[in-house]
Amino acid sequence: MSKPNMRGAIFSSNSVPPISTLRRERRFYFLLCFTATTVLSFGTAHAQDESAFHELETKYIFGNFTVGSSPGIEGEKAFETENEANFGKRSGRYGAGITELELEYTPTQYMQVEFGPTLSYYNIQGVPGLADGNFGGANGFEADLRSLLIDRGPSPFAVTFSIEPEFHSLDETTGAQVWNAGLETKIEADAELIKNRVFLAFNLLYEPEGTNPVSGSWDTESTLGVSSALAFQIIPNVVVGADLWYLRHWDGLGFNTLTGDAVYLGPTLFWQIAPKVLLSAAFETQIAGHEFGPTPLALDLTDFSRQRARLLLEFEF
Amino acid sequence: MKVRFLTIAGIAIAVGISGGSLLAQESAAVAISVKSHQFEPAEPHAPANKPLAIRVKNFDSAPMEFESKSLRVEKVISAGGEGVVNVRALAPGRYEFFDDFHQQTRGFLVVQ
Repeated sequence: MSKPNMRGAIFSSNSVPPISTLRRERRFYFLLCFTATTVLSFGTAHAQDESAFHELETKYIFGNFTVGSSPGIEGEKAFETENEANFGKRSGRYGAGITELELEYTPTQYMQVEFGPTLSYYNIQGVPGLADGNFGGANGFEADLRSLLIDRGPSPFAVTFSIEPEFHSLDETTGAQVWNAGLETKIEADAELIKNRVFLAFNLLYEPEGTNPVSGSWDTESTLGVSSALAFQIIPNVVVGADLWYLRHWDGLGFNTLTGDAVYLGPTLFWQIAPKVLLSAAFETQIAGHEFGPTPLALDLTDFSRQRARLLLEFEF
Repeated sequence: MKVRFLTIAGIAIAVGISGGSLLAQESAAVAISVKSHQFEPAEPHAPANKPLAIRVKNFDSAPMEFESKSLRVEKVISAGGEGVVNVRALAPGRYEFFDDFHQQTRGFLVVQ
C-alpha cells in the first residue's frame, strides 16, 4: 500500500463523527457483539440435542480476519473465493475490494498450501489525496503456507504458523499501478472451550510490505496486529461470534515510524452449507484508533478503512 | 530480526514436512467396517502416542467417504471395497469419524 498524500491533511470531515459520537458508537458495537453472542449461544445451548453438534474444522469459524488453527484434512482439495472489502476514509466516498481465487491443498495432516490470482476493484469519489475512479482489474498473486506447530491433545490450544507471500500490480488503497510485495505472517491459535460448541482464537500478525510506484523508489511499511475471537455453534453447522483486532502501522519494515493504530470490532458468521461447501463472513468497524502526524486525529483512516468485510466461499472437490 | 524470522519459518515448515514422515513409524492396526450405513465397531479402540493404520471395509452397495475432522483424514471407499487411512500418533481422547456421503453414519475412535 503506497502512502496517499492524506496524512496530517486538514479535512472537511464530513464522514467521521465527533469523539462523543465515536464513544457512543464504540459502546454500541461492544454491546451488540457481546449481547448477540451471549444471547444466541446460551439461549440455544440448552435447547438443542447435544448429539446433533459435531466436530468442526476451526480455520474459518471465526469469520476469517481471525483464522483458526486447523491445518485441514490430509488429501483435501478445495477452490475458494475470498473477498475482502474496505469502506470509508475521512471524507468522500471510498470502497476498495480484492478477490482471491485460491486452490487449497492439504498434503499432510500438519500442513496446508493455498495459491491463486487476485482481482481488485475501486470506487473512489472525493477522497482527499486519492484520485477519483471506478475501475478494477487483475492484480497479482498470493499464496499461503500453513504449518501446525502445536496440536490439540495434551495442550488445550492448537497453534499454526502461516506465511503468505503476496505480489500485486495495483496499490491496495489507491489502485495506482505499482510493484507491491508483502509477506503476511501469522500465529493462529485456538481452543475449544465447550466441546463442539464454544471456541476461542487468538492471532498475532506481522506484515512487512514494500511498494514501488512504476517510476520511483521502494516505499516500505509494516503492520503488527493481535486479535481475539469468540465463536459459538448455535445450531448444527452454523457458528456466530465476535472478532476484535488491534492493529499498528509503521513506515519502514522494522517498526521505524509509528503512523497510526486501529481497533476493529464486529460480528462473524460461519455456515457449513453442505458437506463440501462452506461460507465464512465478517463485518468489522474501526471503533477506536489514532492517526499520528502533524495533526493527530481520532481513528486511523489513512492506513486503515472505517469498515472492512470478508466473505469466503469454499467448494471442496 | 530477519535471521530470527527465517529460523522460525524454517522450523515451522520442517515441522510440517516431518509430521508426514512420522507416519512412517510402525503403526497400530485398527479395523472398521461399514454395513447398512453403520460403523462396526462404532467405537473402536486404539493405543495412544502411536501412529495408526485404520483399515475401512465398505460392505454397502454405495461408495462412502471415511472422514474425520479431528483425525484430519478422508478417503473415498468404493462399494464393496476397502481402504487404509494412516493417522499420526494421537493423545488419549475420543475422535469422531463419519461417512461424508451419509452424514448420519458416525462413530468415535477411542484412544487410550
